[in-house]
Amino acid sequence: MNTPQPRVDFGRRALVLRRGRIAVRLQWRTVVVCTALTVALAGTAVLALMTGSYALSPEQVLSALTGGETGFVREIVVEWRLPRVTAALVFGAALGVSGAIFQSLLRNPLADPGIIGFSQGSYTGALVVILVVDGGYALLVGGALLGGTATAVGVYVLAHRRGVQGFRLIVVGIGVSAMLGSLNTWLILKADLDQAMSAAAWGAGSLNGVSWNQVVFGGACIAALLLLAGTLSRPLRQLQLGDDAAAAHGVRVSPTRLGLILVGVALTATVTAASGPIAFISLVAPQIGHRLARTAGITLVPAAFVGALLCLASDYLAQHIAPNPLPVGVITVVLGGGYLGYLLFTEARRRL
Amino acid sequence: MKLMDATEAAAPTAERQPPVPRRRRRAIGLVGALATLIVLMVLSVMIGSKAIPVPVIWDALLNPPSSPDQFAIRDFRLPRTIVGLAVGVALGLSGALIQALTRNPLADPGILGVHAGASFAVTVAVGLLGVRSAQGYMWFAFAGALIVTLLVLALGTTRKGSSPVVLVLAGVCVGAVLGGAREALQLADPDAFDAMRYWNAGTIAGRPLDVVWPILPFFAVALVLAFAVSGPLNALALGDELAVAQGVRVARTRVLAVIALALLAGGATAIAGPIAFVGLMVPHVARWIVGPDQRWIFGYSILLAPSLLLVSDILGRVVLRPGEIPVGIVTAFVGAPVLVALVRRKKASGL
Amino acid sequence: MSSTPRARRGTALAAALMSASLVLTACGSGGDDSGDKAAGTRSVKAENGTIKVPADPRRIVTIGNTNLPFIDLGGKPVGVTEVSDSELDVLPAKQKAAYEAAEVVGSNGGEVDLEKLAGLKPDLILVQFHSKDWDKVGKRLESIAPTVSWGLDTEWKAFAGEIAEAADLTDALSRQTADFKKKVAKIQKAYRKTIDDTSFVDVSRGDWSDPGTFYIADIGCSEIARDDIGFDLPEAAKGKDPLAYESLPFEQIGELSKYDVITYPVDAGGRPAEPFVPVTKTNSWKSLPAVNSGRALGVFCPGNNSYGPVLRYLDSLDRALATLAPDDAN
Repeated sequence: MNTPQPRVDFGRRALVLRRGRIAVRLQWRTVVVCTALTVALAGTAVLALMTGSYALSPEQVLSALTGGETGFVREIVVEWRLPRVTAALVFGAALGVSGAIFQSLLRNPLADPGIIGFSQGSYTGALVVILVVDGGYALLVGGALLGGTATAVGVYVLAHRRGVQGFRLIVVGIGVSAMLGSLNTWLILKADLDQAMSAAAWGAGSLNGVSWNQVVFGGACIAALLLLAGTLSRPLRQLQLGDDAAAAHGVRVSPTRLGLILVGVALTATVTAASGPIAFISLVAPQIGHRLARTAGITLVPAAFVGALLCLASDYLAQHIAPNPLPVGVITVVLGGGYLGYLLFTEARRRL
Repeated sequence: MKLMDATEAAAPTAERQPPVPRRRRRAIGLVGALATLIVLMVLSVMIGSKAIPVPVIWDALLNPPSSPDQFAIRDFRLPRTIVGLAVGVALGLSGALIQALTRNPLADPGILGVHAGASFAVTVAVGLLGVRSAQGYMWFAFAGALIVTLLVLALGTTRKGSSPVVLVLAGVCVGAVLGGAREALQLADPDAFDAMRYWNAGTIAGRPLDVVWPILPFFAVALVLAFAVSGPLNALALGDELAVAQGVRVARTRVLAVIALALLAGGATAIAGPIAFVGLMVPHVARWIVGPDQRWIFGYSILLAPSLLLVSDILGRVVLRPGEIPVGIVTAFVGAPVLVALVRRKKASGL
Repeated sequence: MSSTPRARRGTALAAALMSASLVLTACGSGGDDSGDKAAGTRSVKAENGTIKVPADPRRIVTIGNTNLPFIDLGGKPVGVTEVSDSELDVLPAKQKAAYEAAEVVGSNGGEVDLEKLAGLKPDLILVQFHSKDWDKVGKRLESIAPTVSWGLDTEWKAFAGEIAEAADLTDALSRQTADFKKKVAKIQKAYRKTIDDTSFVDVSRGDWSDPGTFYIADIGCSEIARDDIGFDLPEAAKGKDPLAYESLPFEQIGELSKYDVITYPVDAGGRPAEPFVPVTKTNSWKSLPAVNSGRALGVFCPGNNSYGPVLRYLDSLDRALATLAPDDAN
C-alpha cells in the first residue's frame, strides 16, 4: 500500500519510486518510521511466537514453523500462536486505518467509528439476531455488520442538510449512539439470561481462540478494504484542507465522504465480527502515527503500522502480564491512552 | 414537549446586546421551565410502578404512615424525587460549565475523567479495601472525582496557563488509563464487580437521602462559584486576549470554574452513579434557546436538566411494569431525538 | 469490554439459576484421540458427542461451572478456572483445600490459558460454559485431552450424575442421592400440614441487582422446595421467563402481604445475606404481616447445582420450618 502525496511540496525530502508508468512519492521520515515500526513488529511477533505458558524451546518453535515438527508442538505453534499473532497484526492495522480515515474526515482527534454510531449499531444488530431469529454465528456477524452500517448511514442521512458538516455529524452521532445504547440495554433487560449472555459474550473483544479460518477470511476482507482506502487516500488528504478546497481540486465531496465512511466502518466491522470490539486502537494509532512521522495531517500508512504494533504488543501483554490472561482490549486502553497522553503533554508543553 | 415550545419562543442567533423583548422572552421561558419542573416533581410522587390511589398518597404525606403503600410514598417516591432534583441540577450545571470552559461540543463531565475517577475510586474501595456500604462508596466516588478533576487540571496547565484543548485531551487520557486499570481490577475480582453494580447502575432509585444531605453544601458552594464566573466566562468565549483586555483574570476564572464543575459532577456521580448524556445534552438545548450568554445558559440548564431526569425516571417506572428501567438508560432515549431534531434545525455550534 | 465481567457473572448466575427450559444445539463432534489406550476407555454421552474417556482418569481439569460440583463429589482437580470468593467462603474446608491445591488456568471459559492447560497434561477435561465460549476454545480443548462438555441448561441432578460418570465418582454420587432422598422424605413427613396449607414466597436480592430492587426467586434453591418437596411457591407461566429475571422496585414490597410465609436468603451464620439487607431495612418490609408475626424465614442456600450444597440448604430449610408453629413441627 502506498500514499500518493499531493503535488504541493512542503519542502520535505521525498523519495520517488518509479517503475514504468507508476511513480510513488514517499516522504523520507515516513519511510524511516515505517521501517523502524516493521522491525519492532517483527521483533514482537517473534517474541510472541517463542513464548507462552507451554514451555517450548526456540529450536522447537523454529522447526515447527519450517514444518519440522508434528503433533502437539506443531499444533501449538502453527495452529494456536501463529494465527493469533497474524490476527493481531492484521486487525490492528485495520483499526488504525479506520481511525485515521475518521479523524481526518471529521477533523477531530476524538473521532472514531464509534462516534457515528457504528459500535452501538452493530451491537443492536447482533442483539436483534440473537433475540429475534436466534441465528448462528454467520447470521450474528451479518446482523452486526448490517446494524452497524445501517446506523452509520442513518446518522449520515440525519446529519445531511445541504451537505454534511463535521460538527452536525458528531452531534447526531452522539445522539443516535446514546439512544441505541439505551435500546441495547433495554433489549438485554428484556432478554432471557441465556440470550443476554450470548450477547454479552459477543460484546467482549479478545483474540483468544482465533483460528486460521477467521484470520484468512478477515484478512482477505481487510486487504481489499485497505486497497480501497489507498485509492481514496488522495481525495481524503484534499478533504482535510476543507470542503471548498477539495471541490476546487475536482473532488466530488459528498460521494467521496460517504465512500470513505463506508470503508472506515467496514474495516472496523470486519475486526469486530472476528474478535469482538477492541477498544482505543482506532483512536490513538492515527495520532501516534501522525506524531511519529510528523506528517502535515493524519496519514494512513503510519496509522496502520502503529495500529498493528499496538494490537500485537497489547495482546502479548494481555497474555503475560497477569496470572490469568486478560482480554486484549483492557491493555490497549491503558497502553494507548498512556502513550497518547505522554505525547500530547510533551508536545503541548513545548508549544505553549 | 416543553423544550420545543421554548425553542419556538426563542429569537434567532446571537447578538451582543440583546434587546429588551428578547430578555423578557427568555425570562418567560425560564418561568415556564420552572413550572414544568414543579409539575414533574408532583408527577414523580404520584406515578410509580405500583398504582397507589391519590388519597393514600395524600394521607401518606400528611399523616404518619402505617401501610406498606404509605411507606412506599414516603420512603421511595419522595426521596427519589429529591435525589432527581439535586442530581439533575448538578449534572446540568456541570455540563454547562465544562462546555463553556472547553468550547468543545463533545465535552461533558465524563470527558474530564470525572466518571472514570469516581468509578476507579469505588472499585479500589470495594475490591481492595472491602468497603461495602453505600455511604462508604459515596465518599470514595466523590474523592475520586475531585482528585482526578484536579489532576487533569494540573496536567492540562501549561506554563502560559491552561488551554481548553490540552485540558480535554488530558481528561481523555487520564480517563482511559483509569478505565483500563479499573477493568483489570474488576476482572481480577468478580465479586467486587458485582458489588460495584449497586453504584454503577446510574439510577436515582434506592439512593438513601442520608447519602444526599452531606453533598448538598458542596453543591451550594459550586452554584455560587458557577454564577460568579459566568460573566468572565462570557468574556472568555471571545478568546483569551480579548478577555484579558476586558480585565478578566483568565487563570482564576478557569480554576474556579473547574472547582465548581468538579464539585457538581463529583457529587452527582457519587450520589447516583454515572448518568451520561444529561450533562452533554441539556446545555446544548439551553444554548439554542437563549443564545451564548452563560448566565442564561446556566439558569436554563439548572431547570431543564432535572426535568429531563424526572421525565425519564417516570417513563422508566411505567413502561416495564411491575419492573423499572434505571433512569440512566432512559435519559438518552428521551433526550437524543430532541438533540438530533435541534441540531438539524438550528445553525450549528454557537459555542 | 465492560461486558466481560457481566458475562462471567452471568455464567455463574446461570449455573445457579438455570432450569431446563432451552434447547441448545449440540456442537462439534468428539475428539477421541486419547493418548492412553493401555488403561482402557469408557464412552460417555455429552453435549459435544459421545466421548471416549479414560476408565480411571487421574489428571482432571474442570472449566466453568464444573469446578465445584466435581469437587463436591470428592474430586481433586489438577486445574480449575476462577471461582468467586463468595462461593469459596461457603465451601467446606476440605473442598476449599481441594480447590486451592489446583492450578488456576483462567478467569473464565473464553479466556482460559490453553497453553497452561496443556502444560498440566490432563487426561480429562470437564467443561460447562456458554456455547459461545465453546465455539472459541472447544476444538482446542479437544486437541489437548478428551473433553466432556455440558450446556448451561443442564438440569442439576443430571449434571451431577454425568460428572460422576465421566470422572468415575459414581460411589460418592449414590451416597449423596440417597442422603438427598432421605432428607426430602423427612421434611415432607415432618411438615405435611404446613406444606399443604401455606402459601410461600421466596424473595431475594443479588449483588448485581439494581439499587432499590429485589426479585421473587422462583428458580434456584426454592425450585427444589417447590418441585421436590411440594411447597406452594409462585411459578412463572409456562413458556414465560422465570419471575426471578424481573427486578421489582421496593414499592412492590407491599404486594408480598398476600403470602402466608416469606423466605429470604441468609448467610451461614443466619444473618440476612448482605445484598438482601437493604430490603430488610425498609419500613415497607417491617410493616408486612408475615414479618411482624415471625413468618418471615431466613434460609441459607450455598448453591444449587450439586448435592452437597443442596443438602445444606435442606438442613437450613428444616430448621427454619421448625420455628414456624409448634403444632406444625412434628
